[in-house]
Amino acid sequence: MQGSEFDEAEFFRAITASGARALLIGRRALVALGIPVLTADYDFWIHIDDIAVFNAAVEPQGLFPTRTPDEARGRGRYVLENDERVDVLVARAVPTVDGLRVAFDDVWLRRRALEVAAGVTIAVPALDDLILTKRFGGRPKDLEDIRLLEALRKEER
Amino acid sequence: MKAFAPPSPEAIARIQAIAERVLSAEEFCAALAVPLGEAEEEETRSLIRWFRRRYPTPADRLAYARRAYRRWTTARP
Repeated sequence: MQGSEFDEAEFFRAITASGARALLIGRRALVALGIPVLTADYDFWIHIDDIAVFNAAVEPQGLFPTRTPDEARGRGRYVLENDERVDVLVARAVPTVDGLRVAFDDVWLRRRALEVAAGVTIAVPALDDLILTKRFGGRPKDLEDIRLLEALRKEER
Repeated sequence: MKAFAPPSPEAIARIQAIAERVLSAEEFCAALAVPLGEAEEEETRSLIRWFRRRYPTPADRLAYARRAYRRWTTARP
């Protein structure tokens, strides 16, 4: 497979222009909000009906899905990859490690827009919702990220 | 002074396994219930203030993260 010349601004622009309901989550969202953490990949939570639109938007960046939209819907997640890796969550709702149900539609309604390049915005969950998404995984590094997000929330008050 | 010896790939793999393991709901909630100490919280908030001051826009921060990740992968054993 050919390596891609990845243009992050163009990647975000294409996603927003596609109209796909896509939320940037994970550590890349933490960075964009102002928390200095290291990350290798991009994490998105997208609406379950927008898989094909999302995939088509990022294909010019050389990113290809590891599963068909039907398989992805069945599994609730898939990956787009080439030189970059994009983890995509497609569930209508996800339980937190302690059993709280978090629905995409609710998080989408409360989203905030961040300008990630000149004239390009990307949707991220509201801070409280981003903290909830960090309770999906239940890993020690998620705990660490929750601490950082709580500190950020205090800074924003 | 002793020269810095980078950790072996095996040590890195062990640390990654610890960081990626999934905690039980009880372990996770118990850890969350412990508040950050005052000094640790101030240190964290200070780091965030610095980062937001030095890199004022999301675009600046994302560019920084890509540079930092490249540096980290280059320096990794």
